[in-house]
Amino acid sequence: MNTDLAPEQSLKLIESMIRQAKRSFQRLSFYFLLWGVLLIAAMLATYLLRDMDPATGKGAPWGVAGFAGGFISMVYGARQGRRERVINAMDGLIGWLWASFVITMIITIAVSLAAHRDPGPMITLLTGIPTFMTGRIMRFRPLIMGGVIFWVAGAVMHFTQDAFTITMIYCAAMVLGYILPGLLLKRMEDGLRTT
Amino acid sequence: MAFAPLDPLLHNQLRLAVMSLLVAVEEGDFNFLLEKTGATRGNLSVQITKLKEAGYIEVKKTFKENYPNTVCRISRKGIDAFEAYVKAIRGYLSK
Repeated sequence: MNTDLAPEQSLKLIESMIRQAKRSFQRLSFYFLLWGVLLIAAMLATYLLRDMDPATGKGAPWGVAGFAGGFISMVYGARQGRRERVINAMDGLIGWLWASFVITMIITIAVSLAAHRDPGPMITLLTGIPTFMTGRIMRFRPLIMGGVIFWVAGAVMHFTQDAFTITMIYCAAMVLGYILPGLLLKRMEDGLRTT
Repeated sequence: MAFAPLDPLLHNQLRLAVMSLLVAVEEGDFNFLLEKTGATRGNLSVQITKLKEAGYIEVKKTFKENYPNTVCRISRKGIDAFEAYVKAIRGYLSK
């Protein structure tokens, strides 16, 4: 055991350990992959059901995706919490960030539907905030880029009425903003686990 | 000019590593500390006990999935000692 640490060694050791501890986030890739797949499926189903009367279930795919995703996320989160070896303050911050996004999203959907407007473009725009911020907190560039992609997609979706174009923009944003960063994040998390 | 004395409890590679990890998280279990420090189980256990006896960390013994689990958390006294140590080290480096 080395007790004769030079001041420089001490400081380097402290910095190295703090850096490692701050990188010890909970596994988040699962959520991005899950929601990416569910929301793309919901969007494609909505496109296929576009001629159906809204009152008879045009919004059903989003409801199914929301409940399924919420339930699976809760079960996974609870199981993950029991296995977690470290609690990082940033995990809590990321959790609250997404919780506040979900609240904002629910209000946006309610307000938009009451005003007979499609909530999709605004929700896509808002998705940029937690995605971008999660990337910043984790210092993970693919998620930062994902946030920017949602902002661009959300803005562009405001200027088109064509259902096919909106569907394609949304699905592309989901692939580039959630699924691709989710896969890269999973690879990083698997790598960290084996080191 | 006199140098500030370094806390002998923290001026040890493994104990300093443990304190640095714990200062950056809310709490971490034994396996987390073991993985990040690369220490042996026995040595880590001894140093955790020393830090606990000094009141620098709080140690909670629990069970996780039917296995014993030791969870460590830095105390207020530990944070103060760590900050004083870092300040003293910076003092050495700036001289």
